[in-house]
Amino acid sequence: MNFWGIGVLALVASLAAAGPAAAQMRVVTTTEDLKALAEAVGGDRVRVTTIARGYQDPHFVDAKPSFILALNRADLLILVGRELELGWLPALISSARNARVQPGAPGYLDASAGVRILEIPTGQVTRAMGDVHSQGNPHYWLDPGNGRIMAASIRDRLSQLSPGDASYFADRYRAFDARLAQAESRWEALMAPYQGRKLVTYHRSWPNLMERFGLEVIGYVEPKPGIPPSPSHTITLIGEMKAQGVRVIVVEPYFEKRTPQSIASQVGGTVIQLAPSVGGVPQATDYISLFDYNLAQLAAALK
Amino acid sequence: MDPMLILTFLAAPMAASLIVAGIHAYLGLHVVERGVIFVDLSLAQIASLGATIAIVVPWLGGDPHSLGVYWMSLAFTLVGALLFALVKGQAANIPQEAIIGITYAVASAAVILAMSQSAGESEHLRDMLVGNILAVQWHEVWTTAGLYAVIAVFHYAFRHRFLLISTAPAAAVAQGISVRFWDFLFYASFGLVVTRSVAIAGVLLVFCYLIVPSVGGMLYSSRIGPRLAIAWVMGVVVSVLGMYFSVWLDLPTGATIVCTFGAALALMAAVRPLVLRLP
Repeated sequence: MNFWGIGVLALVASLAAAGPAAAQMRVVTTTEDLKALAEAVGGDRVRVTTIARGYQDPHFVDAKPSFILALNRADLLILVGRELELGWLPALISSARNARVQPGAPGYLDASAGVRILEIPTGQVTRAMGDVHSQGNPHYWLDPGNGRIMAASIRDRLSQLSPGDASYFADRYRAFDARLAQAESRWEALMAPYQGRKLVTYHRSWPNLMERFGLEVIGYVEPKPGIPPSPSHTITLIGEMKAQGVRVIVVEPYFEKRTPQSIASQVGGTVIQLAPSVGGVPQATDYISLFDYNLAQLAAALK
Repeated sequence: MDPMLILTFLAAPMAASLIVAGIHAYLGLHVVERGVIFVDLSLAQIASLGATIAIVVPWLGGDPHSLGVYWMSLAFTLVGALLFALVKGQAANIPQEAIIGITYAVASAAVILAMSQSAGESEHLRDMLVGNILAVQWHEVWTTAGLYAVIAVFHYAFRHRFLLISTAPAAAVAQGISVRFWDFLFYASFGLVVTRSVAIAGVLLVFCYLIVPSVGGMLYSSRIGPRLAIAWVMGVVVSVLGMYFSVWLDLPTGATIVCTFGAALALMAAVRPLVLRLP
């Protein structure tokens, strides 16, 4: 057998060996919540990696070389959108040199299509207002209803990219939908006694969660989004909390705890750490356990 | 804003800063006499490194207020103190300032490396520099006061010994005193204080409490007694003023107190010719 014969044989053999592996789509997501949803819908037909970890602030991510590599090989990129990743994703995408995942390509999925967005600013948005997102609050995944819509978008896009597996994705979506619906009734029962209760959060990560489960946020530890606590704002917040009898402060894992703890000691309250994303705490391993953890913490603190 | 609310809110931070000012003014006197100004900056940074590593390692649970964090921070500081005490003894081939500077740079970078693997990096780095003295709580004030009281008693008991090795080490050697041993005791007790202070006030503010009142005292007197008195008064006044400015102008407190120290020292230097001319 001559050189070319061996070459062709090797090529055919490698293609055959690569068969099952090639059926797995390489998906890159910007957050662990999207990873959890992509895996729920995609099952073993997808291999998902995430850029931002759940315990990190998703507004700020260091561009590591491994992310560019992952994006270069990706078949599908799923992002949260609404300007959450504006500070770091565009540069990563352009460095990745992958035509499949450029904005507008089929491998670029903005998961915010069709979801319920809150806090859309009216009027002009300036830096003086802090780090305000002009397209509304991007932490929309913290509402199970939105989670359902996001999973459906992922199902549709996966089916578009891999039509042969469309029925598989549809089945997995239905199973996820059923699990989610069951969990939702459990959550509503848990949070029913605390409708209308007030609390304070560090950053504006929670409007969707609070609206869905009937809680009210009366103030923030940050004077403006992205601005660290200042003395007079902290003093004013303490006054407000005392006046309205608010005793619970919700803090994300990536913020300092000293200021919230000193506020809590002034008002006789508690600081609880909630997970804004899957992976934000060890107990939040997927989309449903994220809410299980957060709502259990809230219920215990509000009792 | 309700003034009573402001006062109750500022009570613990004010108490903490007075306690810190008190002991640091005294320790700063020695540090300036010894001429190793940056040793405290470096030790404070080493203390921060110890605290950072303690927070990042999983087995301590990541609680910044746990006792384990203080002990780890202290262990690092004492190793640093040992290092500085040993290097001073060497014949002046390697200037001690070089070792101190290198230690500061490496410790700072090591903190950044440690935090890069963890959540809340930029907040932690900022708090490390200027502290979060507004967030201090009463139980921290009491433990700090207790610790500093013990150190103060220790230093009062041996004040002549410490003063001698700081101002005239050659004379101390001539008297047969083991300068290296007392140096280590000084740096160790200094380290105990700095480790605690840095957790509350941050590296830059601790440096200011240490050096600036002492220099203010030096501007107006050559005797230890009056220098200490001036340093104490300056520390208290600047703390109160700095906190007032911070609340009035709504600025970060630690950094405001540092800038107030600078402004106060400049003022004291400016009026010195007038004051010293008085009979």
